[in-house]
Order: sequence, then C-alpha cells, then structure tokens
Amino acid sequence: MIILNKDKPQKNEYIFLDDLEKLTSISKKKVILTKSLWIQKGQLLKKNKIISGIQLKSDESLDEITDDILYFSLVEFNFLSFKDGRPFSIAKTLRKKLNFKNEIRASGHILPDQYIFLIRCGFNTVEIKDEDFDVWVRFFKMDEGLYYQ
Amino acid sequence: MYKYSKKDKKILKKRTSEFKYQVERRLNGDLTEDEFKPLRLMNGLYLQLHAYMLRVAIPYGELSYLQLKKLAEISKKFDRGYGHFTTRQNIQFNWPKLTDVPKILEELASVEMHAIQTSGNCIRNISCDHLAGINNEEVEDPRPWCEIIRQWSTFHPEFSFLPRKFKIAVTASKKDRAAIEVHDIGLRLVKKNSRIGFEVYVGGGQGRSPFIAKKIKDFLDKKDLLNYLEAILSVYNELGRRDNIYKARIKILVNELGEEKIRSMIEDKYKNFADKKLELSENKVKEIYNFFKLPITHAKNSIIPKVDNVEFKQWVKQNVINHKIKGYSVVMISLKPTGKPPGDMNANQMNELSQLSYDYSFGEIRVTHEQNVLLPHVENKKIYNLWLKLKKVGLSAPNIGLISDIICCPGMDYCALATARSIPISQKISQSFNNYNEQKNIGGLKIKISGCINACGHHHVGNIGILGLDKNGEESYQITLGGSATENASIGEIVGPSFPESQLMGALNTILKTYKKHRISQDEDFLKVFNRIGISEFKKDLYDNPQ
Repeated sequence: MIILNKDKPQKNEYIFLDDLEKLTSISKKKVILTKSLWIQKGQLLKKNKIISGIQLKSDESLDEITDDILYFSLVEFNFLSFKDGRPFSIAKTLRKKLNFKNEIRASGHILPDQYIFLIRCGFNTVEIKDEDFDVWVRFFKMDEGLYYQ
Repeated sequence: MYKYSKKDKKILKKRTSEFKYQVERRLNGDLTEDEFKPLRLMNGLYLQLHAYMLRVAIPYGELSYLQLKKLAEISKKFDRGYGHFTTRQNIQFNWPKLTDVPKILEELASVEMHAIQTSGNCIRNISCDHLAGINNEEVEDPRPWCEIIRQWSTFHPEFSFLPRKFKIAVTASKKDRAAIEVHDIGLRLVKKNSRIGFEVYVGGGQGRSPFIAKKIKDFLDKKDLLNYLEAILSVYNELGRRDNIYKARIKILVNELGEEKIRSMIEDKYKNFADKKLELSENKVKEIYNFFKLPITHAKNSIIPKVDNVEFKQWVKQNVINHKIKGYSVVMISLKPTGKPPGDMNANQMNELSQLSYDYSFGEIRVTHEQNVLLPHVENKKIYNLWLKLKKVGLSAPNIGLISDIICCPGMDYCALATARSIPISQKISQSFNNYNEQKNIGGLKIKISGCINACGHHHVGNIGILGLDKNGEESYQITLGGSATENASIGEIVGPSFPESQLMGALNTILKTYKKHRISQDEDFLKVFNRIGISEFKKDLYDNPQ
C-alpha cells in the first residue's frame, strides 16, 4: 500500500492497532487505533505520550472522541464503500468546527475519481494500492483548480 | 438567458474528458460495474430495460434555439429521432450506445449543455417556475437564484456522495407551479417588511413514502442562501440513512427526527459553519441577474388576431397566457397530443420549434415540469401565424391543464424498475377525451400516472393519481384522489382496491360522473369538489354501486 500526499508517496510512520495485546509492545512508535480501542485505552496512550492517530470507519461519528480530537496526530477515515459520503462532511467538521490541523487520511474503498473532492474537504493523504498509483496521480494532475464553491 | 463564462466552459470540458476516461476504464475492466454505476449516473447515464438512457440537463427548464437544434441533431445521429421531456424539466434519450456517450457529451458541450448530476445520489438539476420572470405575481425573478444554486451544487466536493438523490425547486410566487412542497428543499422568494428573502421548505417528496415538506424557516436573508443550503445538506449527509435505499431520502430523516429537531440541527450547523466566502454579495447577485433581463424592451399595443377559426380560438383560450409585458403572450405548447406518449418530441418538431422560437420568441424555449414546453415572449399580433406553423408539426393540442394534459413516467415500456405500463394508459385516456368541449366541460384536472411505487409520474400529487402495480403477473392500477402539487400541496388518498387495465377506464368515468354529480357550478373544479365532499362519495359509486 502507498500513502499518497498530493502526487507524491509519503512514508507511512504509523502502525495500525486493532488489538489490545499489541498495545503493550508499542513504545515510542506512532500508532493508529480503532475508535473502540481508543475509547478503551486512549487515556493510557495519552498518559504515555504515544503519538496516536485514530481510524474511524465511514459509518462512525465523532461522538465520544471530540474531547480528545486535538490530541490525535492523524484521523483516518476508512471508507466501507466509496458511495458512503459521510466522511466528506465529518472532515469539514474536524477542520472548521474542531479546528483540527493535523493529517486527515482516507483509506478503504475509495476511487481516484474522488481524489480532488477528498482534498477539497480537508483530506491530506490517501492510502491506495501500489498498482493504482498512476491513476490517482493522473486525477490529481487533471485538476485545474477551477471550482464553483 | 444565462451564458457560460470561460470558467463554466473549462469546467465542462474537463468533465467531458474525465467521463471519457471513466468509460475507457470501464471498458478495459479497471472499473467494476458497481464502481462505474455511480460515476455514470452522476453523468446522467442509466442502464434501462433495453438500453442505456442519457438524461440531459436543462437547467431550470431554459433552452435556447441553438440548444434545441442540437438536441434534434443528437436525437437523429445517436438515438431514434426523438427525445422525452421529464418532470425535472430535462430531456432523455432512450437509445444511445455507451461508446457514443462521450461523443454526445462533446456535442452537448458545444452548446453549453451537459448531463452532469441529472442522476445519482447528488444534487440534481434545479427546477423552477416555468413562468419565472414573465408573470405579474412574483416578488422577483427566481431564475438567477436557480443559476446561483446550480453553480454552487455542481461538483460540490462534500455533497457528491449523498445517501440518496437530492432535488431543489425554486419559485417566487404564491401560486406554486414548481411543486416546491414535494421537493427535498423547496424555496420561495417572499417579501417581508419590504425585504426580500426565502421561505425554506425541507423534506417533501414522493416515492413509496410521500411527504409534504415542512416549512423550517419563514425568512432567510438572500445573502445567506448558500450557507443555509450547506447546513441542510451537511445534516442530511451525516445523518441520512444509508442502510435502506427506500428510507434514505431527507424526507425520512425529517419525519424520524421531527420538525423541531431537524430545524435546531440545521440552525446549529448554520451557526457553526456559515462561511463568509459563501455569502452572496450584492454585486455577485447583480452579475447573475443581468443574464436574465427580459429581451423585450417595451410594451406594445399588439393584440391577438381575431380569426374566425374554432380550433384557433380554443387553442388561444387554453394555451395562451398573458405575459407581464403588455402586447406579449406566453404560448404553451402541449406535448400531449391525442394518443402520443406524454413529453415526447421528435427531431423534426425540435428543429421546427427551434426555428419558431428564433422567429417569434427571441430564441428562447422553456420546459415545464408538467412535460410541456413554452415560448416565453410572443408578440400578440403574431400568434395566429405561429399557431398555423405549430399545427403543421403537430404541436397545437389545445389541452393545457385539462384531463388529457397528463404527467406520465416511461413505465414498463422503457424502465427497468416499472411494475406496469403507464404510457398506454395515458394514450387511452387522451384518446377517450380528445374532444375539446368535453374536456372543457370536465374543467381543470390533473391526472398523473406512475408505472411503479417510485412515483416518477407524480401520481401521489395528481388530482387523480394512477399507480401501476404487478398483481400476480397482471398489471393492475391503484387510484388515488385529491392530490395536488401546487400551493397547499396534498398527497392523494387511495380510493380502494386496484383495477385491472380492462376496468380502469370504466373506473375513471365513474369518478368523473361522481364529480359532475356533486359540483355546484361549472367553476368548481375536481379538486375543489373532492376537498368539499371527501373520498366517501367516490368510494361508494366505485365499489358499492358500480354501474
């Protein structure tokens, strides 16, 4: 998988955690936690000052994590389907209402056809398959910055 | 009329090449059909029963003569020589090949047209009062606001993957010709304390769960329109149901949350997110308004010729409406001639009408949501000549607003979702009531026919609504009475068990007899009688004492 930032690959510094067991072996690395894991163990990570991102499935809201939002170094929206457009609005809430300035990443079932929409809604990066790199870059380069909004 | 800016043209060109690329990726297998579907839908391309169908946007129903000419050309070159005007003031081509679609889009782009957002789970073509800017009742012309919303909603990054489709209609009159109360958002320009702003309605719609919209704001400052629309759409995008396609429209969310709750959520979003950049400055609005100036420069002492011709007189009485400028008229052109599918126009008619609009109406044509078209600015003294020419090409049916002026979906003749045919029913009705005097005697009456519960033929809001169902493999038709899509909109009541096709005309005649029996005067139209006597008398005559 590649983390794409604009038209350049970006090093993925995060380890994805969906299991409590693995949490104990993590020390100073950057981690991404599922929402449920964060709700259970988030305070521990905060206490140990572990740099944390959170992964929200596209059907998960910001409920229960808004108080912690500025602690996260990254919010990842994992699209269950590219047709599920909720993260486009939730990203706006993050940027405009909660003043979240760190990385917002899209992963899961997303299409290159949505790339510019994602960027315009406040996403910085996308996680894509290696073989899809060229198409994503092509969509990025097709954008001329001409919008109505 | 609005004219594309350089920016509009560039955006459209880019979209056309992007779609070409999407088709290529589909054809070489890089996109699955499941992935391609929402992308093609967002570009107006459906897969129907027999073929692809391309729905071309006609923003708020306004067409130039050059655009209509191009539509004629496309229908001949890429389709079967005709097009079908829809209830969203658009036009559909029923037989294009997938591989031809990018070429069609290029042709359309050459006359500032496209198929963007005529389908899919996004904000659809904005619809409008077909008499906007040319009637005397409105507080101001609503078309510039439609154009402002068109621009804002086109490729909106946040609202292109909504739970379901989203329709917005705008009017500026008390008399509602745009059916705003059965839209996801309905907007009415109103004047309060010498200021003009919007009444905002949310959550109307038809389909299998029909709802009349709730008025959630009495007065919205014009400059805040886009910020308020963003607030409504954000609430819907986050909370609209995505687990069940039949419960995904905003009407269900409004109904589940209740009027108070949805209002407070929208207001909350509005307060938190209102963006200065979206505020509409007077200059911006004025710039758009300038496109919509009337082409008529001054009133004239021009009158409609008094010709001793019964057909012409009937047509003038039924199809010609006063223009707000003295000496001019609005000429309604019925696309419901006897025995033809409602809303269809062939290439020859399109070409002829294009020329007539150039010769008689400053090159402008409009499409109505009732699947008719009109010439907006015809000088009165030229009306007889115009009629003669319309008559030559079969565009002079004198039935606007009468029983044979039927809204009808394509039904099982074309549509993959339909459960019954609807076009043959409307053909039967128009053949049965082809006499003008008989229609006039029945009076103003709106029949609307849908071939399935999705209600594209608006049966819920027909004074008489007809819904085609499949009953154990047989087509069967359920009748609703008392619906209305105008101001004080209402959903029709089901009169009782459905009728097989063979009994449908008999049932319709019985309903008309009941109506005539109870009407107090010739002026009391069907809806008024229904609202006065209720459904029981109709039920009794239909089911208890069938004749």
